[in-house]
Amino acid sequence: MRLSEHPILNFERIRGKEVTIYFEGKPIKAHEGETIAMALYAAGVKTFQHSIEKHRPRGLFCAIGKCSSCLMKVNGIPNVRTCITLVEEGMQIERQKEKPMLPKTMKPPKWKEPQRIEADVVVIGGGPAGMMAAINASDAGAKVVLLDENPMLGGQLVKQTHKFFGKREQFAGVRGIKIAEILQEELKKRNVEIFLETSALMLLQNGEEKLVVGVKKNKELVEFKGKTVVVATGAMERMIPFENNDLPGVYGAGAIQTLMNTYGVKPGDRVLIVGAGNVGLILAYQLYQAGVKVEAIVEAMPKIGGYFVHAAKVRRLGIPILTRHTILRAEGNEKVERAIVAQLDEKWNVIPGTEKVFDVDVIALAVGLRPSIELLHQVGCQIKYVPELGGHVVIRDSRMETTVKGIFVAGDSAGIEEATTAMLEGKIAGIGAALIAGVASSEWLKKIEEAQKELEVFRSGPFGRKVLEGLKKVVVK
Amino acid sequence: MKSKAEVVVIGGGSTGTSIAYHLAKLGVDVVLVEKGYLGSGSTFRCATGIRQQFTDEANIKLQRYNIERWKKLSEELEYDVNFKQTGYLFLATTEEEVEAFKENIKLHNKFDVPTRLISPEEAKEIVPPLNVDEFLAGQWNPTDGKANPFKTVFAFARKAKELGAEIYEYTEVIDVIAENNEVKGVKTDKGTIKADVVINAANAWAPIINEMVGLDKEFIPIKPYKHQLVKTEPLKEGQIDPLVCPPAWNDSYLLQDGEDGGVLCGTGLEYGPTYDMTATYEFLREVLKWATKIVPALKYAHVIRQWAGFYAKTPDSNPAIGKINYIDGFYIAAGFSGHGFMMAPGVGEAMAELIVKGETKVPLDWDWYDPHRFERGELRSAAFQIG
Repeated sequence: MRLSEHPILNFERIRGKEVTIYFEGKPIKAHEGETIAMALYAAGVKTFQHSIEKHRPRGLFCAIGKCSSCLMKVNGIPNVRTCITLVEEGMQIERQKEKPMLPKTMKPPKWKEPQRIEADVVVIGGGPAGMMAAINASDAGAKVVLLDENPMLGGQLVKQTHKFFGKREQFAGVRGIKIAEILQEELKKRNVEIFLETSALMLLQNGEEKLVVGVKKNKELVEFKGKTVVVATGAMERMIPFENNDLPGVYGAGAIQTLMNTYGVKPGDRVLIVGAGNVGLILAYQLYQAGVKVEAIVEAMPKIGGYFVHAAKVRRLGIPILTRHTILRAEGNEKVERAIVAQLDEKWNVIPGTEKVFDVDVIALAVGLRPSIELLHQVGCQIKYVPELGGHVVIRDSRMETTVKGIFVAGDSAGIEEATTAMLEGKIAGIGAALIAGVASSEWLKKIEEAQKELEVFRSGPFGRKVLEGLKKVVVK
Repeated sequence: MKSKAEVVVIGGGSTGTSIAYHLAKLGVDVVLVEKGYLGSGSTFRCATGIRQQFTDEANIKLQRYNIERWKKLSEELEYDVNFKQTGYLFLATTEEEVEAFKENIKLHNKFDVPTRLISPEEAKEIVPPLNVDEFLAGQWNPTDGKANPFKTVFAFARKAKELGAEIYEYTEVIDVIAENNEVKGVKTDKGTIKADVVINAANAWAPIINEMVGLDKEFIPIKPYKHQLVKTEPLKEGQIDPLVCPPAWNDSYLLQDGEDGGVLCGTGLEYGPTYDMTATYEFLREVLKWATKIVPALKYAHVIRQWAGFYAKTPDSNPAIGKINYIDGFYIAAGFSGHGFMMAPGVGEAMAELIVKGETKVPLDWDWYDPHRFERGELRSAAFQIG
């Protein structure tokens, strides 16, 4: 079901011309600008494929192209990431029930030389960190190109309907969705070349230069050559183990936000949220805004992890937050119908007899993120496991340069934090990249110092403590 | 760590673990040392293929024997190494190649390898998505195959340990001790192990071990050449089961992995000598160009992985297997030039028997693989090189 009314968002603005796509032969109305997965979900399709070994139904999980839960056959081509592929008139979409067959074709492709883009700074990822890196590198005098595999810029900002904290220059009081628009406008002004629907599949040293191998719209090869590269590839949602955690209806919190806040698709009717950190709390409020009932939030820790203001808001709505509770299993035939939760004792063991049943059709997992470091790992950056930053992260200096000269990192791919710090890190990395590329004057060092100070202030609160502990382990002089 | 053993094997790939297993089976007190983890050198990076289709008697005979070993290996090691006889299909693009195929087939048949010439139509029946338009004929042997290198090394090592062998991973040999031209043991970064017999099974790194014992590094001129592979997402089995290779297309080849059905694609582009293992974009472009010529529908498959490994090449692409006459107790089985995995069962058996009994029932032609042939300037006809 599509949402038409929302206190903050206007979906008619993003919904393009109506088109018809075909799911297993049946026509479905969709809108240009929607991804296949969103259009299917709006039409009530929740099972996107069946697992190849045990043929279990699978639905969305991350909805940003990072997991493989939504792979489908599109126009005969197997394993298409339907969550980031836009609908086109007449598209034929099928579920995969086993390992796919290759399409029947006997015509070898004509080998075409790929498009070659040269820049001083190549930015991978168009979220808050990547956009800020591109804007600042450009201001510092660099020719910048930015690529992102999603069909729109903004990263996770495009689904943040809440207002930001911090200082005025850090967009305090502005909603995330609005920040995405502002940054996009700034990029436009600066003539930064942007490639959307373009996945970076390789990051290499190419002599003194860097080479980013991209694939546009799943078929066209594009080579990006840069003197330096900023990797701002974000993060991937974590999954926790419980029985039936692969049933359609068990989604990452971000996927639910993508459904309702980016594309205006109602994720379900009744939701259980797992995790009372900021993401879980904000999600509860956003679900309420979208007219979806949140039955409860369960949190294994003895207290709520997120900001007090967010928790207070959720409490005011009458949504119970059950601390020291965990999810035991999901139940349902082909999709989530119930969630069973239980209380934990001080040793994290389930207390027998405390099981509670929630009749829900969606279980939202807001249990943390892990940095997307694949490209950084591939190009040989030194990696370290730092739990405070969400897992494996790269070693870098205070200007966000990794152990591979000329490769920079920013945002969640550098360590899990939030959008404000991502933007500041992006600024530092963007200027740093322009400096190493040899196009920025040394006056820009001052701007880096300013941003470093802002970061320091922002992290000085109680919520920055953990991150600061983590940073001690990976930031080298 | 043990301080003494009868035999020390240096190198924990398919060759080293096979030697250790076969020695332990003969009751020998054997220790294997590996500087990384088992299989981390070249075995886990290989294309999984096992063939008998060589172009010389020695290799064909050894591989004919090896196929019999592979067929029973899972049962013998009590662990499924997923050996499958899915065949090797070579494809000819010119009349000259067809004639050469006919000669090869005669030689194969002479040694009981049932290779035959097939038409493009029959090739298409075996590999349905194959683009046969540019091929004149195929050289097809259904008894060649593939196995899982990870499971094979694990199974050899597990059984070797069961039989009393000791295996030390992350243990690097820093010196081979020899006195008066007699081997006395090895010094590792974790301690010294005394032994009267040391076997160099370090393949791409074998020249480094040879130098430790005082041999000139050109005595057995093994050089590491970087080769690469890409792998696609898992696909339904039965589409490209055999290894398919048109040699004229830059030695390009592809086959479905016997484990998950992903297609492994390789090509002749090599770099070296080098110990660099970085994957290259040049290779990605090159291999995809050829792979989609062989099986056009692969243009719709996603590459999910690319990696590099070494062909430890000798000047004639044949390994050096046997005893080093200058130093008592020093043996080598290295320089497999891309064929180590497929040869591992028989080579391990022959080496173990050579050490224990001084002879072997394995049809391994010691003269052909003689480590001393290079210093005599006697090169063999180059072994046919594909996977």
